[in-house]
Amino acid sequence: MFKNYIKVAWRNLLKNKVFTAANIVGLTLAFAIALLLTMTALFELSYDQFHENKGSIFQVYYSNQTPKGSDISTTNPVPFAPALKEEVPGVKNIARALSENALVSYGDNDFNLDAEFVDADYFSIFSFPTAMGDSNKPMQDQNSVAITEEAAKKLFGTTDGIGKIVRVLIGKEEKPFTVSGILKSIPDNSSVSFDIAIPFDSHSEYKESIDVWDARNHPVYLQLEDGVTKSQFEKSTVEFTLLHNEGQMQNMKRDGAQPDINGNYAQLGLLPYTDKRFANFNSGVLNVKRTFPFMILGIAFLVIFIACANFVNMNIALGEKRLKEIGMRKTLGAVKGQLFGQFWLESLMVFLIAIALALVLANLLIDPYKTLFNTDATFANLLTPIILGSFIIGILLVTLITGGYPALLLSKLNTLNALKGKWELGKNGVRNALIVVQFVIAIVLITSTLVFQGQIQFMRNKNLGFNKEQVVSIPLNGKKDSYRVIELLRNELQGNGNILAVSGSDNNLGRGKDGSLSNSILGFEYKGRIVHSNVLTVDYDYAKTLDLQLLEGRMFSKEYSADSLSMVINEAMVRELNEENNPLSTRVYFDEDSVAYNVIGVLKDYNHQDISKSIEPLTFFLDRDYELYYAYVKVAPIDMAKSFDAIKSAWQKVEPNAEFLGSFLDENIDRTFRREKTMATIITSGSILGIVLSCIGLFAMSLLVVAQRTKEIGVRKVIGASTSSITILLTKDFLKLVGIAFIIGTPIAWYALDKWLEEYAFRVPLSIWFFIGAGLLATLIALVTVGSRTMKAAAANPVKSLRTD
Amino acid sequence: MLLQLKNIFKWVQQGGQRVFLLKDINLEVEEGEFISIMGPSGSGKSTLLNVIGMLDTFDEGEYDFLSESVHTLKEKYRSNLYKEYIGFVFQSYHLLDDLTVEENLEMPLLYKKIKSSERKALVADMLDRFNIVGKKDLFPTQLSGGQQQLVGVARALIGKPKLILADEPTGNLNSQQSEEIMALFKKLNEEDGVTIIQVTHSEKNAEYGSRIINLLDGRKI
Repeated sequence: MFKNYIKVAWRNLLKNKVFTAANIVGLTLAFAIALLLTMTALFELSYDQFHENKGSIFQVYYSNQTPKGSDISTTNPVPFAPALKEEVPGVKNIARALSENALVSYGDNDFNLDAEFVDADYFSIFSFPTAMGDSNKPMQDQNSVAITEEAAKKLFGTTDGIGKIVRVLIGKEEKPFTVSGILKSIPDNSSVSFDIAIPFDSHSEYKESIDVWDARNHPVYLQLEDGVTKSQFEKSTVEFTLLHNEGQMQNMKRDGAQPDINGNYAQLGLLPYTDKRFANFNSGVLNVKRTFPFMILGIAFLVIFIACANFVNMNIALGEKRLKEIGMRKTLGAVKGQLFGQFWLESLMVFLIAIALALVLANLLIDPYKTLFNTDATFANLLTPIILGSFIIGILLVTLITGGYPALLLSKLNTLNALKGKWELGKNGVRNALIVVQFVIAIVLITSTLVFQGQIQFMRNKNLGFNKEQVVSIPLNGKKDSYRVIELLRNELQGNGNILAVSGSDNNLGRGKDGSLSNSILGFEYKGRIVHSNVLTVDYDYAKTLDLQLLEGRMFSKEYSADSLSMVINEAMVRELNEENNPLSTRVYFDEDSVAYNVIGVLKDYNHQDISKSIEPLTFFLDRDYELYYAYVKVAPIDMAKSFDAIKSAWQKVEPNAEFLGSFLDENIDRTFRREKTMATIITSGSILGIVLSCIGLFAMSLLVVAQRTKEIGVRKVIGASTSSITILLTKDFLKLVGIAFIIGTPIAWYALDKWLEEYAFRVPLSIWFFIGAGLLATLIALVTVGSRTMKAAAANPVKSLRTD
Repeated sequence: MLLQLKNIFKWVQQGGQRVFLLKDINLEVEEGEFISIMGPSGSGKSTLLNVIGMLDTFDEGEYDFLSESVHTLKEKYRSNLYKEYIGFVFQSYHLLDDLTVEENLEMPLLYKKIKSSERKALVADMLDRFNIVGKKDLFPTQLSGGQQQLVGVARALIGKPKLILADEPTGNLNSQQSEEIMALFKKLNEEDGVTIIQVTHSEKNAEYGSRIINLLDGRKI
């Protein structure tokens, strides 16, 4: 019996080649893409789940009440962590962790490594797998470091480096450390990644900050003792916070901040470590949203839904051709259950073929996929029993529903009517509903695609207020003094007519090839209230190099010897200081007993941070006591590639041991919206796939409808209907469905996209044309898909169609 | 007695009125009979045949088949009953186009859950008996109408039914093919004792039978 089913199923699939191919292609594409998307989503969700203590690890953050509302900070002062452990019960382990680049030398070679300055407890809290050394204590003492296998390979040429001594540049001098632990490569799904772990108290600024409570520069992680809950602990820190932040709180109170509901001006909070990747503090409150992975899962689900809807529709449509078979089988004694089994088995076969092909396809696509979507996800993430189990159950459910529904309809048919070829379904409710839902999905996806691409274009083309096309930024990752490096670069490039200016600062614009992003904020009292500003230490010619527009006053200049006590501010800072009338007369005392700094110039606002943020106050200093970390070189707009090479060779002369990581600023800016680009790519591909699949389905439906109405068409033509009127008659029904889908889909898309765009300070307006465009596109696609078929049917000779009866 | 119909009525509602398809049909069929049902188009011949074959229901009356009351049976038991005892032959053969001759013959046996080896034997037997061994791997569309109907009859017979119901079995055939099929029916009836009820338009075909039932507007005359 089973063999017979398979045989019949196989022959049936071969007989309806077009439909079988459409189904298999559709399902294969859908499953393959869904598989890849699910993989990405699960990978995202698996972030930081590998830590054995994940349930009790938290990152400390502070909710501060400021005059401008609530504000979250995740950085802490150096004495904070030891004090917290000492004074508040419930902390099992606590560790400070400061991420920085460190210049590590072994023999004659220097390497710029990602360093994590951490307390010893760090490795008791987190479970980074070790390859060699004590797994609980890979960093044995104050004079030892732990490095990853990759770093060991870089440094020593082998993964075994235990006991070897490396030199790390701390501040301006090198300090020797013994390698006491080798870590396996940091898992891809870890939010923290580093090459070398260095004892926290070796950091160059440690000693001077050991009792300083008002400079914050590192996150703190802690593990609670068993039985202590997050909210209990948060409550028990109120006293502690009051004690150590008294001054700050009084200032806040004085400046008009409102306390939170518990009457506090600052409250310590614990962010579960597994939420870290999904946490967002932009709005001043902690917001943990797993939007991205769930959006991807959603798209995967939608794609599968579209393909399955096609499958259901086509199978019902094809059922019509098999009425005779159904009737005959019933006459020969088949009962409902047997027929259901048979048809379901056929569906299952198609699904199994599609799944097998999808697995192959997904494997073939995985590398381009990973590059395109910029993910480290692998199938290995999927190979847990729970995921595999739910995957299999999911597939079974999907086949049961999609294969089962048409099977149920067909097996329920009355024997005689089936034999006579009478189709009793009559109403096309389910079919129409499925088509509408498909097009709702397609329209939402198309709209999202248009808006996402619009936003990316907007961000890319936005005038950021500085010259991003002609400026190269170079991370200063060598051993030499940064001012000297810039001076040397200037000298090297002097003769080159295409090099227009060279300068430097302690922060990058956008995200460079070194991958680091940072910002420093300074708070000080001005005219009886606390003001905050981002700070930037720059070299001479900074404004000239970046084409920043000076509104008033002047930039730093070698002609004025007192410029180290001068500051240049942007318009936002002018507003922050409330000195709109005469900013150039502003004098600032950072400490009560310090000297005064004078504002000497005002720069027009430019986007010195991520474009998603609004422009914050910014103050420039020229202070040789602070290192510079980036050099900027402006080149002429001609022969830019040549100029870039010239910069590179100059760099290699100046810093022969350090890698050249220079890049144009527009590349850096592009890198800052990698996330948006990835999302846009995923949504674009999702919508293209959705459209293709919907079209396959619509095309199949038009075949069916035309077949069902062949006789009607013939009669109408004999009576005198024109080809065009029949085409309209046939196409109208489908367009109606697209219209309904548009009406349903537009509000959904509008709501979701409006929410999404809210995250951006600078955003493309949500114009009605995005929606109209998507609607028109969907209509056009539907028209083309259906039209070809209906026109052919309408043009056919009526005698032929009438003869079939 | 093989089957008995008592006061069978069947109607459809049309515009608030009952239109009778079958009206007060009483019929007794003994084993070994060869009955022809005749009548003009729309007189209810096929409906009657379908009611006897349990493919169609009726609204009033009683139907006993081998002393089982069909009208009280559930679909599943009805299906078991007809798959056991009744074979159908159709005007348009209704062979499954996707199956070969051999597979078409095998199909009723599959639904009767007969073992593979036994199925093979029965099919081979039937192919032999109808002289179509050479055509066993062909698909129905590769056969002439007469040959297709031959397969149709063979398929109806393979389950060793007590009753064969034939709805205009020669309607699509030319006269020579018709004669062959009718001769085959006669032979089956006489030699194997299979009861046959056929619907036919043709007086000539009707004469092969032992009894003729005439219908007009759903009524026996």
